[in-house]
Amino acid sequence: MASIHLDGVSKRFGSTAAVQGLDLEVADGEFVTLLGPSGCGKTTTLRLIAGFVKPDAGVIRVDGAVVSAPDRVVPPERRNMGMVFQNYAVWPHKTVYENVVFGLEVRRVSRQERRRRVARVLELVNLVGLEERYPSQLSGGQQQRVALARSLVVEPSILLLDEPLSNLDAKLRERMRWELKELQRRTRITFVYVTHDQSEALALSDRIAMMHEGALQQYGAPREVYWRPANRTVADFMGLVNLLAGRVVAARGDHSLVTLGAGHRIRVRLPEGFREGQDVQVAIRPENVRLTTTPAAAGPEPGTAVPARVVEATFLGNLCDYRVDLGDGTPLRVQTHPLETFEVAQPVYAWFDSVHCAVFHS
Amino acid sequence: MGATVLAVVVLVVLPLASLLLGSVTDEGRLTVEHFRRAFGSRLYVTAVRNSLVLGAWTALLSVALGLPLAWAVSRTDIPFKGFVRLTANTAYLTPPFLTAIAFVDLLSPNAGLLNRLVRDVLGLPGLAVNIFSMSGLVLVTVLHTFPFVYLLASSALESVDASLEESARMLGAGRFRTAVRITTPLVAPAVLSGALLAFVNAIALFGSQAIIGLPGRIFTLPTRIYALFDHPPQYGLASALSLVFVGITVLALALQRRYLARRSYVTLTGKGPRPELAALGRPARWGLLGFSLAVFLVAVVAPYVTLLAVSLSKSWGLTFWQNLTLANYRFVLFEYDVTRRALTNSLILASGAATLAVLLGSLIGWIDLRTHLLGRRLLDYASLVPLGLPGIVVAVALVQFWLRVPLPLYGTLTLILLAYTARFVPLGVRAASTALGQVDPSLEETARIAGASWGRTMRSVTLPLIRPGLFAGWLLVFVPAIQELSASILLFSADSMTLAVAVYNLYETGYLEPVAALAIVNMLIITAAIGVATRVARGGAGPERGVVAH
Repeated sequence: MASIHLDGVSKRFGSTAAVQGLDLEVADGEFVTLLGPSGCGKTTTLRLIAGFVKPDAGVIRVDGAVVSAPDRVVPPERRNMGMVFQNYAVWPHKTVYENVVFGLEVRRVSRQERRRRVARVLELVNLVGLEERYPSQLSGGQQQRVALARSLVVEPSILLLDEPLSNLDAKLRERMRWELKELQRRTRITFVYVTHDQSEALALSDRIAMMHEGALQQYGAPREVYWRPANRTVADFMGLVNLLAGRVVAARGDHSLVTLGAGHRIRVRLPEGFREGQDVQVAIRPENVRLTTTPAAAGPEPGTAVPARVVEATFLGNLCDYRVDLGDGTPLRVQTHPLETFEVAQPVYAWFDSVHCAVFHS
Repeated sequence: MGATVLAVVVLVVLPLASLLLGSVTDEGRLTVEHFRRAFGSRLYVTAVRNSLVLGAWTALLSVALGLPLAWAVSRTDIPFKGFVRLTANTAYLTPPFLTAIAFVDLLSPNAGLLNRLVRDVLGLPGLAVNIFSMSGLVLVTVLHTFPFVYLLASSALESVDASLEESARMLGAGRFRTAVRITTPLVAPAVLSGALLAFVNAIALFGSQAIIGLPGRIFTLPTRIYALFDHPPQYGLASALSLVFVGITVLALALQRRYLARRSYVTLTGKGPRPELAALGRPARWGLLGFSLAVFLVAVVAPYVTLLAVSLSKSWGLTFWQNLTLANYRFVLFEYDVTRRALTNSLILASGAATLAVLLGSLIGWIDLRTHLLGRRLLDYASLVPLGLPGIVVAVALVQFWLRVPLPLYGTLTLILLAYTARFVPLGVRAASTALGQVDPSLEETARIAGASWGRTMRSVTLPLIRPGLFAGWLLVFVPAIQELSASILLFSADSMTLAVAVYNLYETGYLEPVAALAIVNMLIITAAIGVATRVARGGAGPERGVVAH
């Protein structure tokens, strides 16, 4: 149970800047995910926190005490953190029990106490009865649990997880996701979790730190990052998104107006720094566009309707996927509830809700 | 297919059966007399003991040399790593009997240059070293076998998933504890397996054991078996001793397989980051570099420089540099008529054996991988049996078989060709199986469906796809075959003289200088062959490719 502060942390490997000027604070007991594509610096950040990598610049503090600075790094073994690796890193030459008890032996915990604590943690991760097995006799999910138990048994203040679920099959991954969330809630340990899977990040995190090319792009709650992406990179990475070219016609904060391709005006919320006449991009997710057959209001907060025509319709079971044309050839992807069906070539209205429209400089 | 089976039977199965039969019969009657003599006579028990002592010390010292070098290259930031790799490769590829001759030139009790130096110049006779001793034999052998440990250990150290070690660090274990509790158990199987390979190879080397051991009256299994072929030849006893030899070898190889199987530890995951390189302090850095340099000097520089110096001197001694000459080269190249015959023979034998081994290997590999023939596994195993047979044992088995057959093959080039092919067919099978394993059967099936016959499919699909692998395999056989001594020494005649035998025979006459010249010529030919090999195979011909000794 500890807080982490990164202040202006940078790390270069040869000519590539793995992490540049990263500021990040993780509160005590928080579940924070470092999210981004491979090579974005998320794993390097985790290894900086673990103490395996020495920063070129900046300072890392845990509970206010400096643990990493360019001239001084507390070695990993003296940080009382736990780490779970992508490939589990369960020692193949040790049994489950021997794997889990290792940290307690290092800490010179008494034999009785060791037995008790290993038993308790194995119960926590559902591995009772497998103590004498070797890792080669365990499934991937079980090995993952051994790795978790091994880290948890020493009661670390911080647990670092490096894509711990990415080697599991889809079903197991989903179940382990719930278990991890539950585990964190019960233990109140600060979790720093690295993944490139946005749905994993959305499902698990209190906050998501979205990284790209070594720099922090956005740091916020899952809903905020998903619905109000700070820039195009974040919008793109977090899921399917329509990017529509437009021009600001009225810059009035939450009540601003933007024209889209064929001259239709929609209402948007403009952040600071935009002026009238400026070319912009409007980002909206396919599931946030509503389609109707009439220009009449479609809900309690209607937004703006733009006339369109259905070009392509695909039934996907849990949803319908449409491609519509906004009049001037601008394609717009829309996903609707499977019961709302439209025919190809049918004239429709596409509704833009200002809450769901993010505006970027083009 | 029938021809393939027949070839394996004639090359491996029948000779081995004759060896067995020969060891328990005497003029057609069953007897245990040969084994009784093998185990009852001090002569042979001592030979077995000497072989075991030689193997054990060689294995131990191979670890002492190979492991620090492997660690330095794989886990530290020392400079000149390429140079350490070069040392290991060169040491492995140098024919051990040439190393032995070079060390005799340096350290023989009377004429050895270094011994004369300490005795006559420095006046310190106490420092003189007698190479004709077990220690001398171990020294010369280790220089050839430490690369086995080096190679297996460094690949294990490099492929240990770094996260296995980092996990220990996160749990509070420092560098030292992590090295002891995590890294050591993970790489131990590979190191042990390398040590066992060093053992098997060490005890099979006829050349160094004859050159160093015989003058020191240290008899080992290969030299004892060799002596039994003197008149009157005692084939039965030689067969019995050969089987004891095979037993020791197979036992060691079985252990090695077990340990290597446990190496799956290391490759279990392998997706994680590479291990970090330890930043060494100045003393450790210079210590390791000095150690590498010392190994380089003893294993590479000393033998080559010595042979070159001897070959260029009129008379080898403390003042050899005052009388440099090319006369020795003129002699071995133009006047000594054996050289040209031996050179031609060795080239014919090496390329013939390489071609046959690869051809047979491809057929065996194809039958094993692509057909469901009954007993195809058996065929595969039979073709790998020679891995467990020391070179001299292959020769004894072939002699036993062909003496029973009314075909006058003894003393001919053909018999030596059969011996080489039998010895190296496992390399051909491996190369071909690896290459074939990478060709999806559907590529062949597509050709068949398109209307091509089996032969046509082989010609236009399979062979072109596996050609690079086969060529690499060809060179992997060619390189050890052109320096083969252990089997040739029992099978040659004046007409079927080979290069290595020529060097050995010339050495026996006692003229150091021409021997050195012939050794250098021999080395140049081998180097040229290896140069082509590395260029074509791109992987180099390191010890990982084969277990066959010289």
